Amino acid sequence: MNGPPSSLIVRAIGVSRQFAMPAGPVTAVRDVTLEIGAGEHAAIRGPSGCGKSTLLHMLGCVDSPTAGTLLFDGQDVSSLSDAARSRLRLRQIGFVFQRFFLLPMLTAAENVELPQAEAGAARDDRTRRTRDLLEFVGLGARSDHRPSQLSGGEMQRVAIARALANRPRLLLADEPTGELDQSTGEQIAALLDRVNADGTALVIVTHDGVLADRARRVLMMKDGRIERESTR
Amino acid sequence: MKALGFAWRSLVRQPARAALGILGVAAVGALLFDMLLLSEGLVTSMRDLLDRTGYDIRVTATEALPGRGPRVTGASGTADALGALPQVRSAIAIRLADARLEGDGGVPLQVGFQGVAGGPGRPWTVLRGRDVQRPGEVVINEGIAGQRGLGPGDRMIFRPACDAESDAPPAVTLEIAGVAEFPFEAVNEGIAAGMLETIDTACGTGGRDEADLILVASTGDTDAAAAAAAALRPDLHAVTNSEVIERFSESGFTYFRQISAVLSAVTITFALLLITVLLTVSVNQRLGEIAALRALGLSQRRVVANVFCESALIVGAGGLLSLPLGILLAVWLDRILKSMPGLPAEMHFFVFQADALVLQVALLATTAVLAALYPMRIVARLPIAETLRNEVVS
Repeated sequence: MNGPPSSLIVRAIGVSRQFAMPAGPVTAVRDVTLEIGAGEHAAIRGPSGCGKSTLLHMLGCVDSPTAGTLLFDGQDVSSLSDAARSRLRLRQIGFVFQRFFLLPMLTAAENVELPQAEAGAARDDRTRRTRDLLEFVGLGARSDHRPSQLSGGEMQRVAIARALANRPRLLLADEPTGELDQSTGEQIAALLDRVNADGTALVIVTHDGVLADRARRVLMMKDGRIERESTR
Repeated sequence: MKALGFAWRSLVRQPARAALGILGVAAVGALLFDMLLLSEGLVTSMRDLLDRTGYDIRVTATEALPGRGPRVTGASGTADALGALPQVRSAIAIRLADARLEGDGGVPLQVGFQGVAGGPGRPWTVLRGRDVQRPGEVVINEGIAGQRGLGPGDRMIFRPACDAESDAPPAVTLEIAGVAEFPFEAVNEGIAAGMLETIDTACGTGGRDEADLILVASTGDTDAAAAAAAALRPDLHAVTNSEVIERFSESGFTYFRQISAVLSAVTITFALLLITVLLTVSVNQRLGEIAALRALGLSQRRVVANVFCESALIVGAGGLLSLPLGILLAVWLDRILKSMPGLPAEMHFFVFQADALVLQVALLATTAVLAALYPMRIVARLPIAETLRNEVVS
């Protein structure tokens, strides 16, 4: 298999994802071809059920296409074992979820440290990196707070810091402002812009037109296909 | 954060549930520990009592229990001959009888009466006063001393009941040389003991020289001593302590072992179900969180190990708590069971054995592994994308 240019992170070639349902198979993503390059800022929009999140999950290697090929750094993801995929996600991909999914029994700092510890980072490096990240997201003073002591916006900032913990090349965010009010959502959007400005490729799935408009590239999906694409 | 530390933090986020799980395992573990102690407790206690007499072979006329079968004839001579064997350190003949201790106008006291010939050594330990030195002297146990207020130097009137078929012999007055402890004495049981001539005289059977059993202490090789004793008197039965225990194990103690095995199996099953349910509920409540961790790159092995560590922590903490609980429960139950009449005061149903502790640890460790299997399977097979999608939809 030919490797893509070094600036290309992930490449989907005619990928589809079909789910077996009691009433018959449902195709969530149909024949999508897409490339995400280094430092790119893309948004995927579309109505509910159009396959946005499914596509994001495939780009993030947590789901596999039932047809087509997905290459991450030129490597066919379907050929990777579960452990290799985990390592790939741990070191190359960051995830931000709509519902944050912070571990409630850990402090903000411990949540950010967790992926670093899993990646085998030294304690001193973890501590330094965690402090820097929490400063970056504006929560340096809240590092010892547990998620239950943080607001929704603060929890999402911690989640972003956690996603950046191992310096991923690609950050995937699924409705990152979906649970936040408009003002807090704008703060999160600005934070994600800063993340992208620092060189991390960013792909956001969102219903929020304002958030999507901040991206340089917007992909509109409908019925599992990319209906149109606009670039700013 | 180490796996165990992470698992501990996961557990204590639901402190009530964790406490219930640990307490449940502690209660079940305590019961299991007691059942394991009970399964071998009586055998161990009986072996200890037999060994404590200092004699490792019992010679009787038949296989019946001493006092319930025909007596050994020529008892003194046989004890002396056995004692002279090179494999034998000492041999004593013992005759058993019942007796009634007359009081000063009070209610008579039923006691056991032992007469001993041969030696050196006696199957009792003198606590106060001195040992018997001549016919007409006896040592009494604390049961008689306490109930009748008797001690060394006092005299007492005995009316022995020697044989069912013989006439009741007249009462005799015996002098108390000392107070002694008898290994097999029951709680509140009265026992008096003296020389074989004393009981013979009291029973009016002087010259018969009969004994219910002969206790033999080997010089070290019990089996060789037993074989030598059997060769000397082929008409008698020489049984080692180990064989006595074996016989008891095959008959009387089997019930305890069976009860213990059934209850152990039930308690372990209960512990297994308890932990499985707790962990499964806990894991099911955290599916989104676990899927997110997997998406962030935590390996399948790591999240599965976390569930296993949670199981190990519940069982470990509960297991540790179960030991003091089990010991307290064993002491309490032992006291209840020992109140059955006729049991030797030094006999115990629950006896601590290192083997039981090792088995307890092994069973609990197995329980921790088995209990974690189903929730570990849920976590291992968790579809990440589907779970994340379901979490958002729900």
